[in-house]
Amino acid sequence: MRTFIAGLAFAASIVSAALPAGAAETANIWVRADGSNFMPRIVDAFNKGHENQIKLDIIPNAEIIPKYGAAAAGGTAPDALSLDLIYTPAFSAAGQLEDITDWAKSLPYFESLSPAHVKTGSYKGRIYGLPFSADSSVLIWNKKLFKQAGLDPEKGPTNWAEIEAAAEKVNALGGDIKGFYFSGNCGGCNIFTFTPLIWASGGDILTEDGSKATLDSPQLRGAIDLYRSMIKKDLVPQGAQTDTGSNFFAAFATGNIGITPSGAFAIGALNTQYPDIDYGVTFLPGKDGGWSSFAGGDNFIVTKGTTKIAVVKEFLDFAYSLEGQTILAKYGSLPVRGDIAKEALKDLDPRYQIAAEAMAKGRTPYTVVFNDLINSANGPWTQMVNEVFFGDDVDGSIANAQETMQSIIDSAQQ
Amino acid sequence: MSEGLSACAGYKPGMSANSTLSRRRKLVGAGPRQWVGLLYVAPAVALVIVFFIVPLGMTVWMSLHNWPLMGAHSFIGLDNYWAILRDNRFWNALRFTGFYTVVVTIAIFAVAFPLALFIERPRPLTGFYRTFFFMPVVVGFASASLLWSWLLNVDSGLFSPAAFALGLTEKKVNLLATFQPAFWSIIAMVVWKVAGFTMIILMTGLQSIPPELQEAATIDGAGPLARFRAITLPLMRRTIALALILSVAGSVLAFDQFYIILRGGPRNQTLTAVYWIFNQSFVSFKLGYGAALSMVLLVILLVLSLIQLRLLRKPEGLD
Repeated sequence: MRTFIAGLAFAASIVSAALPAGAAETANIWVRADGSNFMPRIVDAFNKGHENQIKLDIIPNAEIIPKYGAAAAGGTAPDALSLDLIYTPAFSAAGQLEDITDWAKSLPYFESLSPAHVKTGSYKGRIYGLPFSADSSVLIWNKKLFKQAGLDPEKGPTNWAEIEAAAEKVNALGGDIKGFYFSGNCGGCNIFTFTPLIWASGGDILTEDGSKATLDSPQLRGAIDLYRSMIKKDLVPQGAQTDTGSNFFAAFATGNIGITPSGAFAIGALNTQYPDIDYGVTFLPGKDGGWSSFAGGDNFIVTKGTTKIAVVKEFLDFAYSLEGQTILAKYGSLPVRGDIAKEALKDLDPRYQIAAEAMAKGRTPYTVVFNDLINSANGPWTQMVNEVFFGDDVDGSIANAQETMQSIIDSAQQ
Repeated sequence: MSEGLSACAGYKPGMSANSTLSRRRKLVGAGPRQWVGLLYVAPAVALVIVFFIVPLGMTVWMSLHNWPLMGAHSFIGLDNYWAILRDNRFWNALRFTGFYTVVVTIAIFAVAFPLALFIERPRPLTGFYRTFFFMPVVVGFASASLLWSWLLNVDSGLFSPAAFALGLTEKKVNLLATFQPAFWSIIAMVVWKVAGFTMIILMTGLQSIPPELQEAATIDGAGPLARFRAITLPLMRRTIALALILSVAGSVLAFDQFYIILRGGPRNQTLTAVYWIFNQSFVSFKLGYGAALSMVLLVILLVLSLIQLRLLRKPEGLD
């Protein structure tokens, strides 16, 4: 009898959950797998406190673009999408997104939203994407290995010479321990962690509007020399040459790597999965000091013609609230609202503050052909970084990449 | 069933003996028996139409458009095909695919033929050997690629660390970093994976050769090599043709192993034709262009298969 009553109560609760009062609506949102940590949390929090509901689907990173394209063509696209920000220009150019300029500009905190996100979210003066999650690039070092090598474990490298010197000392510990790690065959990893070295030294790989490739610069060559020198001194594990990104985080997590360029995401991942590793976080420095960062993460975009736009805006409003920003920060994304970032991060690991500061000044190359130029495993950028780090003909590789990139940019503008 | 057969039987003489005109008349005036025959093949025809003819037609249709993954598409006639003519990287990919196909097909036959000869006749443990050699075939290509991708890893894999531990190499050699070792690693993996299948096909061919022929030749004084050349090979034409076409078609369409293990590297030297089509469609989001490339590859495969069938058909007068 008791189970019967319990069952009845359970059934009643299902019915009441399925039929919320009023004309509540449910909007469908997609996120890539990178957001599988924070996105369900923030959606749950929203659903608990609101009549309108969000239904979340998590899509594997590599599939979200083709899947969304196919769904859009078939009229079954989600109402909104948390999209890797670098794709926003291409999506906006395709005319697939809802123009949210007026709404965005009406937000009282619009000015303090992550500028890199808003820049990639804009196309021809209109806004199609707003920041949702954020990830900046930073340099992390293993404090235990620094101590063993006789270095100050509390002080990270502040210029290129210090990176190389510290890597050399750690490497001298021998055995499986190596000084430095990077994924040498991964375009996405290197745009995230290698270009900041160039930016911090005053160079760039694309012009501001993305219309010209500018690879042949002394800053790029200098950064290449730094990596080549460390490879030559055998400070980098052999596997780096063919790592397409699978070891980007995992190599440092073994505890055998002295220094590696990484991202804010590593702070959360190390704290939760590898609590034994004692590490420090600092900025990615320029040749003689200064620093820079890639501003990564997701833009929130709305599918053109959706009927649930009110629900979507309500959700985004919630995500921008202090409560929303704190949930994001707690589960692996940096806050995207500069004005309340400090408050959202105040109870968290203090190393996040460095990453948040990096984010605020972070940069993102703007181009509608980002995938072709940079991320594609067979694109000019990926090929170039692999060749210039490990090959014999640095000049030829740079010239080849410059030409290929420019021709891709030119043919996209036709 | 019997009615369907007799419908076929009644139809056949008309096909070969009568002129086109009378054939047409015959079709128009088809009696109920013909319709029943049509009914029997209808499910197969429906499957072919839904899963082959319609997608093929759509691919052709898409190939005539500028068809991005997102946004509106527009008709551009044959422009995609003209663009292919100037697409150097596609022709490079095609050249590499041809090179890979030749090498891997020779390698597969070089391994599969001796294996087939070895397991053809019953001897102790034949069942075990057959199973043993065939095993890798039942592993999916993607899973096999992932397995080998780990085996070939320089830091945590098997080959390089083992060679280093045994003192064969001075330091761990990254097999996937340069073209030659990377390419031959893939060849080794594909042979390991596919040879068992070719072996079984060749074995059935070997078993269909009447033993009397071999015996007679032996009595006439023919050595093993002469018997292989004069009896085994000619009588296996059809089997070899089947194995060859399957192997060539499979190799021309190679993708998984190069995508999963090498990502087209080192330095884009192992981009195959299908890989390039994939890149154009899902990295550059140019579905129309990808469709046009697919059509070109389809024609190439068709021509290759026809050539092989022609070369390997039975000489006149035999059979």
